[in-house]
Order: sequence, then structure tokens, then C-alpha cells
Amino acid sequence: MNLALEYHQLQNRRQFFRGAGLKVGGIALAQLLGQRAMAAKPTVTGDIHPALPGLPHFAPKAKNLIYLHMNGAPAQLDLFDYKPRLTKYFDQELPDSIRNGQRITTMTSGQKRFPVAPSKFAFERCGVSGIEMSELVPHMKGIADDITMIRSVYTEAINHDPACTFAMTGSEVPGKPSLGSWLSYGLGSESQNLPAFVVFTPTVKNPSQALFTRMWTSGFLPSQYDGVKLRSAGDPVLYVKNPPGVKSTDRRNMLDALGKLNQRTFERYGDPETQTRIAQYEMAFRMQTSVPELTDLGKETKTTLEMYGPNAQKPGTYANSTLLARRLVERGVRTVQILHRGWDQHGSLPKQIKDQCMDVDQATAALVKDLKQRGMLDDTLVVFGGEFGRTAYCQGKLTRENYGRDHHPRNFCMWLAGGGIKTGITHGETDDFSYNITRDPVHLNELNATILHCMGIDNQQFTFPFQGLEQRLTGVEEAHPVKAILA
Amino acid sequence: MTGLRMVLSLGLAGSWCVSAAPVEFNRDIRPILAKNCFSCHGQDAKKRKGKLRLDEEEGALAPRNGVAAIVPGNLSESEMWARIISKDPDEVMPPPVSKKTLSVEETQTLKLWIEQGAKYEKHWAFIAPQKPKIPKGATNPIDAFLQQRLTKEGLKPAPLASPETLVRRVYLDLTGLPPSPKEVDEFLGDKSSDAIEKLITRLTKRQTYGEHMARYWLDLARYADTHGLHLDNERSMWPYRDWVVRAFNQNLPFDEFTRWQLAGDLIPKATMDQKIASGFNRCNVSTGEGGSINAEWIYRNAVDRTSTAVEVWMGMTAGCAVCHDHKFDPLSTKEYYSMYSFFHSAADPALDGNKINTPPVLKVPRPGDEERLAELDKKIKQVDQRIAQAVAKIKYTDPAELANPPKPTTKETVWIEDVVPPKGKAQGNTPWKFVNKPEPVFSGTKASVREAKGLSQHFFTGANPPLVIEKGAKLFAHVYLDTLNPPKEIMLQFNSGTWEHRAYWGGNKIDWGKDNTVSRKRMGDLPETGKWVRLEVEPAAVGLKPGEKLNGWAYTQYDGKVYWDKSGLSSTTNPAKDPAYSWKVWKSQKEDDRNKDLTDTLRKRFKGKEPAKWSEAEQKELRDHWLAKAYTGAQKTLAPVKAEKAKLVTEQETIRKNTAVTFIMADLPKPRQSHVMIRGQYNQPGEKVSRNVPDFLPPLPAKPKDRDYNRLDFANWLVDGKHPLTARVAVNRIWQQFFGVGLVKTSADFGTQGQLPSHPELLDWLAVQFVEDGWDIQRLVTRIITSHAYCQSSAVNRSLFEKDPENRFLARGPRYRLDAEILRDQALHLSGLMVSKVGGRGVMPYQPPNIWEPVGFASSNTRNYKQGKGEDLYRRSIYTFLKRTAPAPFMASFDAPNREQSCAVRSRTNTPMQALQLMNDIQHVEAARNLAQRILKEGGKKDDDRIRWAWRVVTARWPATEESKILQSTLDEHRMRFTKDTEAAKKLIAFGESKADPKVKAEELAAWTLTANLLLNLDEVANKN
Repeated sequence: MNLALEYHQLQNRRQFFRGAGLKVGGIALAQLLGQRAMAAKPTVTGDIHPALPGLPHFAPKAKNLIYLHMNGAPAQLDLFDYKPRLTKYFDQELPDSIRNGQRITTMTSGQKRFPVAPSKFAFERCGVSGIEMSELVPHMKGIADDITMIRSVYTEAINHDPACTFAMTGSEVPGKPSLGSWLSYGLGSESQNLPAFVVFTPTVKNPSQALFTRMWTSGFLPSQYDGVKLRSAGDPVLYVKNPPGVKSTDRRNMLDALGKLNQRTFERYGDPETQTRIAQYEMAFRMQTSVPELTDLGKETKTTLEMYGPNAQKPGTYANSTLLARRLVERGVRTVQILHRGWDQHGSLPKQIKDQCMDVDQATAALVKDLKQRGMLDDTLVVFGGEFGRTAYCQGKLTRENYGRDHHPRNFCMWLAGGGIKTGITHGETDDFSYNITRDPVHLNELNATILHCMGIDNQQFTFPFQGLEQRLTGVEEAHPVKAILA
Repeated sequence: MTGLRMVLSLGLAGSWCVSAAPVEFNRDIRPILAKNCFSCHGQDAKKRKGKLRLDEEEGALAPRNGVAAIVPGNLSESEMWARIISKDPDEVMPPPVSKKTLSVEETQTLKLWIEQGAKYEKHWAFIAPQKPKIPKGATNPIDAFLQQRLTKEGLKPAPLASPETLVRRVYLDLTGLPPSPKEVDEFLGDKSSDAIEKLITRLTKRQTYGEHMARYWLDLARYADTHGLHLDNERSMWPYRDWVVRAFNQNLPFDEFTRWQLAGDLIPKATMDQKIASGFNRCNVSTGEGGSINAEWIYRNAVDRTSTAVEVWMGMTAGCAVCHDHKFDPLSTKEYYSMYSFFHSAADPALDGNKINTPPVLKVPRPGDEERLAELDKKIKQVDQRIAQAVAKIKYTDPAELANPPKPTTKETVWIEDVVPPKGKAQGNTPWKFVNKPEPVFSGTKASVREAKGLSQHFFTGANPPLVIEKGAKLFAHVYLDTLNPPKEIMLQFNSGTWEHRAYWGGNKIDWGKDNTVSRKRMGDLPETGKWVRLEVEPAAVGLKPGEKLNGWAYTQYDGKVYWDKSGLSSTTNPAKDPAYSWKVWKSQKEDDRNKDLTDTLRKRFKGKEPAKWSEAEQKELRDHWLAKAYTGAQKTLAPVKAEKAKLVTEQETIRKNTAVTFIMADLPKPRQSHVMIRGQYNQPGEKVSRNVPDFLPPLPAKPKDRDYNRLDFANWLVDGKHPLTARVAVNRIWQQFFGVGLVKTSADFGTQGQLPSHPELLDWLAVQFVEDGWDIQRLVTRIITSHAYCQSSAVNRSLFEKDPENRFLARGPRYRLDAEILRDQALHLSGLMVSKVGGRGVMPYQPPNIWEPVGFASSNTRNYKQGKGEDLYRRSIYTFLKRTAPAPFMASFDAPNREQSCAVRSRTNTPMQALQLMNDIQHVEAARNLAQRILKEGGKKDDDRIRWAWRVVTARWPATEESKILQSTLDEHRMRFTKDTEAAKKLIAFGESKADPKVKAEELAAWTLTANLLLNLDEVANKN
């Protein structure tokens, strides 16, 4: 796809094999690769999966990214965007001056009224910084001083599918690479025995919204940059387990012969891809060991496990995924993305959002604390948020205790923590109805530009030619990192 | 990207750029300007800086305030040159903010160009190709053109590939499947000079040829089996996929292929296939998401259709012009929306409704279906005639018209007598107990009895045939209460699917149902003891309506001893008052009641028309109908012939129900007015536009007087032979299919941002010849395969590789990894598992759990993967059900697109995930085991023979001694290990649905299975060599 990249890889490979002695065959080769894997930190970022020439563009603050995507759009009004003055508007019509003729979805456009639904949840200023959070997220309150809360994120899409696609790929139309794929493509892999980009889709009680593989796949980039899903059922990584009755030693046996035979093929055809294939089979073999090691939580302390909550050891849960996310980052995995579903509260919001928060609050806070206590938060960027926000007016029947909210792309909250991000600040502001941004708007493209910036990438320069355009994660128009939140 | 251009200019264009040879604008200059200048000085008027455009001669040469950007031949007078070499950051071009810089070579090239007179050319791809003269030398024109270039580069073509390598290459490229050893021998044995032509002829006649060729097209068409957005429900589109296969098998000329797909629905008297083909336009992703705004999706669907058509046939990335004038190509937004207007009036709804058959759809009968339906129609008519004849013979007298009407008669349907009715499942607190005389028995030979303390009962459910409640009928049962030990309460319960129909006599002791409702209705006091009493229940009293069916009945009691006997339904018929006996009575019913016996047509015809107004003919017609349909007196006679008819009708309905539908294209009767959509926003219509094609391309023929241009005009315009792009784009893609890279590498972008052709004359010659050959795809394919370029060896040495890493000069043959589908199909084919069934709804082969489930909506009908069985597991990959939001791993890991948008070229990666899959996927392990079975059965008796045979099966060649040795030693190790652990061996060979050959020892089969697994993982097997 990219000749320069191919060339670069080829040179690396050629030197590598020249040094190793081509004739040694599979076994020696495997040992050699194994030794490299065990080295503390490879000097080159890896023969198979190097960074693009010239990248990173500047010294990165963050080497790793953990993106916690709350799929379905969490209600900012009930979590982070405190609007005390809304109480007196209970059940009153949303003022026209606020709605301002803005479009709404066809789910509520037929409603006769747009009564204001104040949040029923109590808010508090948290930590030294005083970031406002509601009673729904008691554990997150404890990390308030470690994060930047953005209350003014916005997007254009008003429905889930295009909005999620946009949040993760910078385009509402399918076909573009996901954020993690861009990072793998640009920055390469640091791990010799795990993929560079790992994805979790924890199980939730009510999967009322869909996910799409396009949220973690590589679009027009080569598929080697796809996110690899770590699964809770079946093989943790697809096909990582040998067939029944086959032991690791059997596989080693087979691979030794395969390596020798493929080496002969290389000698016959001279195609460097053959040597890459030999190396990839060795990497596959290493993954067969490293993946089970990764998911084995036996060496985690009781304190750690307790910190992540009762589900920490239960595969397929959000808590388990967050703990594994830390372990992945520890092992050099570049990007981890956890997609937690079920945040689309059109009705019965108070009850449902409580369940949702119960599922993620403790583990999310634990992840940030855990990274911090291990000194890993300095070069790991954590992002938390959904694809859009929810309306101040009620969808369906309104009471003090029960209400629903429709989609609202004009403003929502996200928070960031770790590598390159200021701590304990609140950025951006919305009006009394959390309906319009009044200060410091942050478009999702700018948020993505900020993430790239923390990872040492200038989003304007980070492009890939496709369909006649120098494609960017951050879109055709210029998008700049949000300087105000950069440390 | 910078790197890419640099390598290219060094690798391919190096000699032109640095020497003083004549500079050509299209080849040398436009790429530099496009990359560095056009974003501010190009086509897009809104982004243009300083009102200067450099993409056109006129703008570049025009003096502005006495200064011109370019003065041909005069470097020092050219402002552009001054700016390029300026050191002043405010002056220099490109400006530092653009982050673009010209390389030394680029600067030198621009300098030479200005010095040589700054000649502009229209972009090469927008000028219609002229057929160049074939250079002297090689026989095949392809080789002649290539040779010219090779000589220039100081290269020589490689020798021919070995026949084994070549025959495997051709089989894989034409059928997507490797040759069998027999087929290899057949080719090796053919020493004639046209052996390869004969091979091509043989292969292009195969069904597998169409399947293989179709696969590439389906990537372009973005074909899939789900809608792609939100719920991602199933859509029925596979008849289109099967048509594409058919079209390639029939070698449908590419111009027809084009017309049918873009506008098959508009072709006069369109055939079924032409309509199916028009489904190309409906393959776009669509949504049914709640809350979506219609206008947005009508717009988006039209944009997708337009951009796809433009990309597939014109190799242009029109998408940019959706929002703004194309920055690089001369396509304005207005022109884009003029093309969009052809697609904007599609008749499908904005939202797909999450339906499998979002209209417009076409019913596509299976072969033979239509004939059978016609036959059935005929038979039904015959049966109807026989019914009519039988009715004519009925001598009917209306009982109501008789002076002495017949007396009412009572009919009893006895359900329970001596035994439980058929299929009834007898149950109870204790089992049913039947007694004979001398104990009390009312009729038959037995009665059932129960003696209990408290609540007790016996009952049954599931009786079939059921007891149908007739109008006016009563339920009855006979009961005998023991005098010495009478019960406190007795109850009858009837099951119509629920037990909520209860009648009781005596004390209200049994606490079931709701008192005083149909679920617990008191009928009276307990009957007299010591004698048989008949109990009767009006069905309505226990909530049963006529027509309801009982499948169960319960005899329940509280305390005491109770005998039960003969139970069922009794009905009294009074013919003189019964519409099933009396025509007069039937007529006098309310219209609604009459309607129950009428067909839809009759109902409509007689709507609101009272019998008094029926003509004599109508009277007769309806009476005959009534006699046949409703008159009880005739039913016995008519039953056999009516049953015959029912069978025929059922078959007809089944065929109709099973008939597939496929999405087709159609336009609204009244076209939509199209507008330029400002900044590509669906709710910002700007200037009105009408259907037209871009200015820089040949015009449409004169507009017909009686109508607007339509899609068929657009399609005809593409394939009229004068279009500069269509044929070039098409031949380039076919070339890419065989060589891995197109003559234009960016096969989806022939615009100014795309790469230049490596061999422009060859591309033009092929394109013109293709049109002259009547757009004959097989002729083009034959021409390519018979070239030396294709047939030569792919082995490469280091110096050639470094000179031409991508093999663009073709000094060696093509070698690259097989596509996703071929890898799977090859394994199935070599193992003998493949099922060669053609077409039909997508099947669901092996897939690990949790591919669909974790992403799917709870309410999506493709949330749960329902893995198929038997042959579904072993069909060709083209027939795998394709769910867009969660594609099959065997496809996705090997770079198959998810078909969310058109894909002209797949990337080709090499990853550890692929290694894991080929080693461990159940499909591949099962294939290895079946291959092992073949080896043991067909490969001879000795290890060495078997190894040699197996090697030849998978690679088409015999192994070298060293290769056999390596395999032997690994086989020995596997054998040793499995002999020690036969349990492990048994587990391995049981993997997969197909059964292991029981005649082979498990440890032997397991050892060979792993050996076969190795063979299927060889680089040589995963590649076309």
C-alpha cells in the first residue's frame, strides 16, 4: 500500500536476516526471535511493525491510549454537567430562545411539548479542583483531581450509528480507519508478542445499542492495523488456541519444519514476504503463550483486585476489561479500547443510568488510580465519554423521579486523564439548560487532534492518500489540539 | 505520501526527471503541482488564493499587474519560479504553513518545464485513448509494449515459469481453485503450441470461473446480505450476486454488463436478469434507525450511488465534490450534483424499515418454478371444473322452502369413551383408572373412576384431532356420584391452549381461576347420587367460542368417589334454520356472516349489495358457490376433489412463499428536483441542477424531445466507446486481478491525484482493443494470460527486487498471497470437502462464537449467528452470508472489505492473526484431517510415496528430496507423540463436523493431520507463485 513503508520494512528485515545468517533455519530463527522478545525494550520498534518514518512528529507525552467509550450517549445532565437552575423550570416548556429551531430526532419531533427535566441526582464539587460530579459516580469523584473534564464537546450526527462511527473514525460515513488503527499505522507496535491495538466489548445487561466492527477496524488502511478483540467467550484472541489434542510442543514441531520449508521457498523465489511470513508465524506462536499469561490474573494482589470491584475476575465484564487494559499497556500494547454499551436512556433514565454507572464507575476510577500508583499514568492517556449528549427536555412522561432524554449532539461531557493532560480542570461551559455551548467548544475532531497530539502526532501532517484525498483522522477541515487542556 | 512519490520518481520516473529529456506535463509536472499547489491554486474557487490557478494554462500564463506566474521559456520572468526559490518565508511557495516542500528533483523538473516552454496538457486520463502502434518484437502486443520499457531500463524478462507453477497460477486466477494432479498432468502432457489457450478455454467454461470472477466485482458493487447500518438486519439481495456469477459465465460483454447494472430497469421490455442487475444501485448501506431524518437519507443514498458509479466506471473519486469543487480534478460541485440527479429519484424509501425486502423488489423464481406455477394453475382450473360439474349434479331442495320442514336432529361427537382420545396425554394426581361392569358404566365397556381426599383429578392434553366447538353445540359429560362417599364438588375443565375454562357443581372448594367468571363458573348443585346424570355446559359460559379447538379435558373433584363416562360435544341441527343447509337462510344472514363463506373477489363484487338486488345469474353463481363451499349436504361428496384442490393450492403458495426477492432499482414516477447541496449538507439545498455529465468529458447525445435524460442515457454514455475513462478503468482492474497491481496503481483514482500508468501506451492499446473486441472480457483475459509477462517465472534476485520492488516493469511474473476466499476454498477443495452447489441465500459456515453477538442489537435479526450444518459448512466462500457490521473472520483477517463501500483494490497484509487462523481454525484443521485421509487412501502405501503425493496435491509440483526429508522427520515426531497419547489423537481427529475415517488408527490419522496442516500453511501454498 505504501511503498516507502514497504521499503523501510524490507531494509530492516534484510539487515536482520543478514545478521542472523539465513541458513540457520526455523529453530535458530525462532530462538533468535524469542530472545529479542525477551529483551527489556527492543531498540528498534520491531521488524514487523515499525513506526512510520518521521513519526512521532515530536516527543510524545503519552505512549499509550486507553479509550473508554460509553456507547449510547450518557446523559451529561445527570453525570457531569451540573445545572442547579434547571430545577425551577421543572415541567416547563424548553424556551424557544434555547432550542432556537435546532433540529431534533424524529423520535421526539412529534411530541407536543418539550418539558424541562432537571436531573434528580445530587451533585458535588469534588477534590481540591472542585470538578462537579453527581452521586451516580461516587468512585470517579475520587479521581477528580487527576482529570480534565470537558463539558463542551460536540458533534454533528444526531443518531447512534453515524455518531459512533464519527467518534471513532472521524467520519459519519463508514470506511475510514479507527483512531486505534491510525495509531498502530503511524506509531507501530512496541510489543513483540501482543497486538498493538486491543479492543474489548464487555457484556452488559441490556445491549440496547449496536456496535460496529468499523469502530475498531482499519478502513482503507491495511487490515494489519485492525484492533484485535480480546474476547470473553471462546478463544480470548481468535484462533489463539491450538486444536484439541494439540500441545504447544506439537505446534513447535510443526513450526520448525514449516520454517525450514518456507526458508527454502524464500531461496527459490526471493520474495521478502516469505520471510515476513516466517516471522509472523513465530509471533503467532509467542502470542499463544503471551495471551493466556495476559488473562491470568493470578499474580494480581488482593488489594488491586478489590480496587477494581467484585467483577474484576469475571471475564467479559467491564471491570475485568479495565484491569486487563492496564496489563496490556504494561506489556507495550499501544491502544486499548473498551466499548461499554447500554447508555441510550430515552425512558426510565434514572433507574437505567444507575445500573450503567454501577457497572463502570468503580472500575474506571480504579484504572486511573492503578495506573497512577504504578507511575504509568504519566505516559498513558485515558479518555472517557460517549458519542453525543442527551436533551434537557423530557422524552416521554415526566415526573420528578422519572424521565427520559433524547439525543443531543450539540454538547456533551468527556474527560481525559494522564499523559499530556492537565489535572483537575474543567474546560468549556454550556447554558443553563445544557443545550448550547457558551464557552470553549471542542469538536470531536479537535478532541481527536488533542489525543494525537499527546501521542506525539501532528494531526495535520498525519495523512493517508485515499480516494484522491490526503485523508486524516480529524477530517478535511483543519482541526487543532485543545491547547488549554494540555499539560 | 511524500515517501511514496519519492520512491516512484526514483524508481520509475527517475531517468526522466533528472535528465534534460523533454518534460511532459501530465507525466512529470501535474503530479508535482497537484501535490504542492492545487489545494490553493486549483479547481476549487472557494479555496483559491490570490485568484491564481495553476491547473489551467490560461490562469497560469495570464499577466496580473504586469506579472505572470509562468512566462513560457523565461525562467527569470516567471513569478512562480521566483517564489519557489525565494528564501523569504512570506514569499516562498509552497508557504511554510502548508507543510509542503518541493524536493530538489521536483524543483529541477519544474525549472526544465518552464525553460522548455511550459506546455500544458489536459490530464491524460481525460483524453480519449488512441490506439498506439504496437512496437516491433514480441508476438503478444502486451509483451511488445513491456519489452520496450524493459529495454529502456536495462532489464530482461524472466524465463518461463515451470509448467507446474504456471498451471497452478492459471487455475487459481481463472477459477480460484488449484488444479488436481490429474489436471496438472493433462497440461504437462499437452505439448502443442497452444496448450495454454486450450487450458484457458477449458477453464472459462467452468462454473467456478464465473464464481471466481464475480468475487472481484462484488467488492466493487459493495454487495452484502445485511443493510449495514444500525440494526444491520438481513436484506435479500443474493439473486444479484448469483446474476453476477451468471454474467461472467455467459461472458456478457462489459458494455451490456454496465447498462444492465446501472439502468437495467429502464431498458425497454427489461428481462428478469436485467432487472436483477439493476440491484447494483441498491447495494449501498442503508439504515432504519429510529429518529433518522428522511431527507438526510434520501440524500445520502443518492450520494453513495453516484459516487460508486463514478468510481467503478470512471475511476474517479467524485466524493470530494459532494462538499466543494474538486480540489484537484476539474469536477465542480455543480457537475457532481448533475450526475447525482440521475440517481436522486430512486423509488426506494429513505429508511429501509429494517426489512428483508425493502421495495422496490423483484420476485425471482427458482429455475422451474414458473413452469410449475403455470402447471398448477392449469390443474387448479381443471379441479375447479370438476367441482362445478359435481355441484351441477346436486339435486338441492331448500329445507326452509318445504311445506313440512325436516325435524331438528341431534348429533353427538363423543370424545371420551373407554379411552383417552388419540394423541391425548393422560395425566392425573394418580393415573387414570378405568373400571368395567358391575361397577357403574354408562356406555361402552368402561367408565373412569376416582376416589380422593381433597382435590384430585385426571385429565389429558395434546389430543389430536382436537374437539372443535361448533355453533350451537353443548359440551357434555356423564357422571355418577357414589352414594356412600359423595364428593363436595365436581368440576369439568377444558383446555383450548389454556385451562381457563372451568365449570363446577356443588361447593366452591376448588380454588382455581377467578370465581364467577368463565375461569370458574358455577353450573348448579351436585347431581343426585347413585345414578348416571348427564352434565351439559354451554361453551359460551366457560368462554369458548365456536371454532375454538379443545386439546384437553379434566375431570376434577373434591373428596368422594366419582365415576365419569361418555363425554364430548352434542349439537342440534335444524336444517330449515341453518345456513349450512338452507340457501334461503344463508342469503338472509348479515353481509358479514355471508362474507365468511366468500372469496375475496366475490366479497368485493357483492359489497353492500343485498340479495334482493342480485340478478338471476348472480343468484345462480352464488348458490353454486355456496353449494360447493358451505352446504353441508354436499361436503361428503365433494371432499375428495376439494382435498385435491387444497393440495395444489398449498404447493402453489409454498412456491410463492419460497420465491426469493431481490432489491432492484426503479425511479419515482415524478422525479425529484435536485440541487447543489451546499457543503454537502442534506438540508442546505442551493442552486437547482438538471441531469448532465461533466464538461471535461464528452457530452451526452442530444436530449430526447419527450423526456429528460435518465440513467440509461448515463450508462450508454459510459460505454459508447468514446468515453476516455470507462475502458481504461475496466482493463486496468482486470490487469490488476492477474498481476496484483494495475498499470495504474491507484485503480480507483485515474484523476490527477492518482498515479500515472506505468505503461501508458499499453493501457491505451488494451483499452481501445477491448472496445474493438466488443467489450469481450474473456478475450482480454486470454490476451493477458497468454503473454510472456504473465507466464514468466516470479523468482527475483536482490538487485532486481531493489530496482523494482513492486514488479511494475514486469521483468518477472506475479507472486502474491492468495485472497481470503481462495485460501479457504483451496483448503476445502484440496481436502475433498468442498460442496460445489451454486447460488442461493448466503450460508453460515464455521465461525467462532461471539463474532456477531457482542456487536448486534438485541432486536436485530442478525444478532445471533446460526451456524449451518452439513453442506453449508463446505460451500465456496462467495456464498457465505456477509454481515457488514461483523464480517466473518476468515474474510476480515485476510483483507476482504466489509462491503460498506465500493472497494477497487484490497490491501494484502501478512499478520500473526492470519497465521493463527490457518493453523487453528476448525475449518482449516478439519480440512487438514480430510486431506490426511485422502493422503492415506490415495497416496500409496509408504510414507515417502504419501509425502510426495501430498506435496504434489498442494503445490502442483513434486517435492525435492530435502523437502520430503523435512516432512518425514516432522511426521515421525508427530507419530511418536500421538502413539504415546492416543486420547489426544482422538480429540484432534474429532475436530469438525465430518467424521474421521474409522478404519484408520487415530494416532496415524492425527500425525498425518498435523502434517497436512503444515502443508496447508506453506508459504508456497498460501501464494500464487
